[in-house]
Amino acid sequence: MKSLEEEYEKLKGILARAYQEREKIEVGDLRPEGVMQRIRKLGAIQPTPTFPEMFEPFVWRLAPVVSLLIVGLIVVLLAIDFTPGHDVFQLLMNGREELTLAQLFGG
Amino acid sequence: MNNGSCDPGDSEIVHQVLAGNVNAFEHLLKKYQNYVLGIVRKHMPYDQVRDVTQDVFIRAYQSLRTFKGDSSFEQWLSTIAVRTCYDFWRKRYKSRELLMSSLSEKHQRWLEEAISDKATQSFRERGLQKEAKEILDWALERLSAEDRMVLELVYLEGHSVKETASLLGWSTANVKVRSFRSRKKLNKLLSKQIGHKRSGT
Repeated sequence: MKSLEEEYEKLKGILARAYQEREKIEVGDLRPEGVMQRIRKLGAIQPTPTFPEMFEPFVWRLAPVVSLLIVGLIVVLLAIDFTPGHDVFQLLMNGREELTLAQLFGG
Repeated sequence: MNNGSCDPGDSEIVHQVLAGNVNAFEHLLKKYQNYVLGIVRKHMPYDQVRDVTQDVFIRAYQSLRTFKGDSSFEQWLSTIAVRTCYDFWRKRYKSRELLMSSLSEKHQRWLEEAISDKATQSFRERGLQKEAKEILDWALERLSAEDRMVLELVYLEGHSVKETASLLGWSTANVKVRSFRSRKKLNKLLSKQIGHKRSGT
């Protein structure tokens, strides 16, 4: 009695030949005119986009978000109180000779 | 597989198509239709061959810009053909139900006879025709799309690991592992059927 491996090898040979038989199956004409009709519907192949063109769709898609961010930033900047910063600046400009570290830090 | 350089005629036609002359693609279609049919015929069920071959050419047209002329157009087209077949099986296997049925009594008898020492030459010739194809389809249907493609390309068609990797766009290591596993799975499937018959269940 043959081993399973031998039996399998034999079977594999038969199945491989059966597989190769597939090449001989007649399937008829491909109907190239049907394929060309589909291709014509697709239209001409578009040229490869340049680097800036590749980003164009993203720019327009991100435009509303960026606009909102700018408006939000303006609102935040207007709402922030600049007075303390302004005071320090005035102090530096007007009384540089009396300026001590103690004054700067509110001492 | 043709490893030669690109036919200048093909390059010129590709150039024309890319320049907007869609009709020039018909030359490539007519020139290579039998070649692509030959590839698709081996991987597809009979009723799907024509549709899938048409899809191969549509896909080739859409990907024409990726053809750089480093290899022959034929080789580039064969890659698209194999990948289209692979995609077909991936889609088909996703929607299929789990296949549990074993081979019919008739096929099990055929298997038993095929591996027996008494198998005559006439049986081998006769056996090639119908039952062998049905058993092969039965077994391949029970593998994954990946296993099926690797098994067909490496074991049944005799492509090298490198060629198969290039056709499927996989790494050679992946093809090696897959081909080993798929062969084991097929072995197990068929051995189970042989054993099934012997045990008389």
